[in-house]
Formats: sequence, structure tokens, C-alpha cells
Amino acid sequence: MRQAGAYSGILSGGLSGKTGPHSLPLARIKKIMKKSGNDVKMISGEAPIVFSKACELFIEELTKRSWTMTIQGKRRTLHKEDVASAAIATDIFDFLVNLVSNSSHSMDNPVEIETTSK
Amino acid sequence: MAAEAPASPGGGSHESGDQSPRSNSNAREQDRFLPIANISRIMKKALPANGKIAKDAKETIQECVSEFISFITSEASDKCQREKRKTVNGDDLLWAMTTLGFEDYIDPLKIYLSRYREVIGDTKGSAKAGDTSAKEVVRPSPNAQISHQGSFSQGVSYANPQSQAKHLMVPMQSNE
Repeated sequence: MRQAGAYSGILSGGLSGKTGPHSLPLARIKKIMKKSGNDVKMISGEAPIVFSKACELFIEELTKRSWTMTIQGKRRTLHKEDVASAAIATDIFDFLVNLVSNSSHSMDNPVEIETTSK
Repeated sequence: MAAEAPASPGGGSHESGDQSPRSNSNAREQDRFLPIANISRIMKKALPANGKIAKDAKETIQECVSEFISFITSEASDKCQREKRKTVNGDDLLWAMTTLGFEDYIDPLKIYLSRYREVIGDTKGSAKAGDTSAKEVVRPSPNAQISHQGSFSQGVSYANPQSQAKHLMVPMQSNE
């Protein structure tokens, strides 16, 4: 019985179809994976599981790096310009640069100002 | 608990003027992004208690996460094509993450994945052997349910299963 308890603890932590309070919905992850390209036809059951954790790590890292930018600007509210600055300043987030600079089109390109001032 | 269904009304209208090919239809918003409530929760965990997050930052991260999934999946999928395999599996994703610079994620993911395989292996094995033991794994007792919530409030720590187990033992003993 103890084992079953431990197992279902893991399962409801995001490994089953129903997601627990700390995880991300697997079906949605799978949909986004399928949209990545026409050649993505079959996805193993464990692939969305890997992503549910990987996305969590990714969100945490991007948020922490963005927060560093917020602090540098002597602010206490994290804004999308901070996310953009963090993405530009971090090599592994290079793939986000187009996305974050496009989505800041309404501003007068705050991204460039922050990077040049560094 | 039912946070995921209509959780992202805020994700809807923020980029109506965007020309990116991903936003060809707002009706598909639900399919393109993970729920903003879940993302917001994970973001808050990463910040100090006095830290605030603007809505535009949540939406930006929401887009970034989908981009991340696509980025990794494409790389993994290319590998599968080269190796003439049809199914993208967890190891392909780990390989892609290493290739693309996310090697720091690999260790926590391997721990997570091996625990998953343990569970699924056992579930499948017992399902093949006989249904009764599989049901035991799938359907927790009411007491076990309560203790899960207890362990979640501490944060789910896969690196330290023993503390979870200890936590689970308390209500279990009263059950027996």
C-alpha cells in the first residue's frame, strides 16, 4: 500500500493525463509539439512528460534572468522588456530574440536601449 | 484544482495585430499556448516574495514556452528523420536539449524520466500480468489522496523521494 501511495503521488504530480497543481497539461504540450513541423507525426507517451518538466525549468530560468533585468532597472515589477533583455543577453535563448523583439512593437524598442546601456 | 480549462482568457487578445505566422487564428489560441495560470504559478515560484509580474511579461513567457517546445521538437524530429524513425521519444528530446545548449536541464529531467519509467513499467507490467494490481496503482485510496495534497504544498521534490514517502506514511498507518 505504501508503494501504491508513492506511485500515485508521482502520477498526480503531472505524469497522468490529469495534471496536478504544479504541472502543465500534457495534451496541450502534445498539440504544440505537433505544430512544430509536418514531419512530427508520432510522439511517444513520455515526450510530453519530459516537456512538462523541461518547460518548468525553462520558465524558471527565463523568469530569474528577466528578474535580474528588472532589478538592474531598479524596479520591482517584471515586464516584457525584461524578458526581451534576458533573452537577448543569454546565448541559449537566442531562438527567442525574434519573438520578443517582435512582440514589443508597441514600445519604442526598449530592448535596444537596455542592451546598449550595458 | 480545475485550473486548466478556461484558465487563459488573458492570452487571447494581446497580439491581435501581430503578423507572425503563428497567430493566424485567435480561435486556435487554446492550442498554441500553455495555460497562463500554470505559467504564472511557475514564474511566481522563481521570484522573491516581493516580486510582481506584469501581465505582458506573463504573455511573453507564454509565447516563449511554445517557441521552446517547437524549437526542441524540431531538432529532435530532424534526428528521427535522419535515423528513419517515426516516433519522437523522450531521449530524442534530451538529445536535442543537449545539442541546443540546455544541458543543465538534462540531469533533473533524467531523474524525472527514470521515475516515470519506473511507474509506467510497473503499471504496464502489472496490467499485463493481471488487472487487479494495476488498479491498485491507478486508484489511490481516499487517505492517499489527502496526503498527496500535503506533499504538493511542500513542492514536488523528485530528487528526494524519501521525504515524500515519510510524509505518506502517516495517514497510511492509520488506514491499516
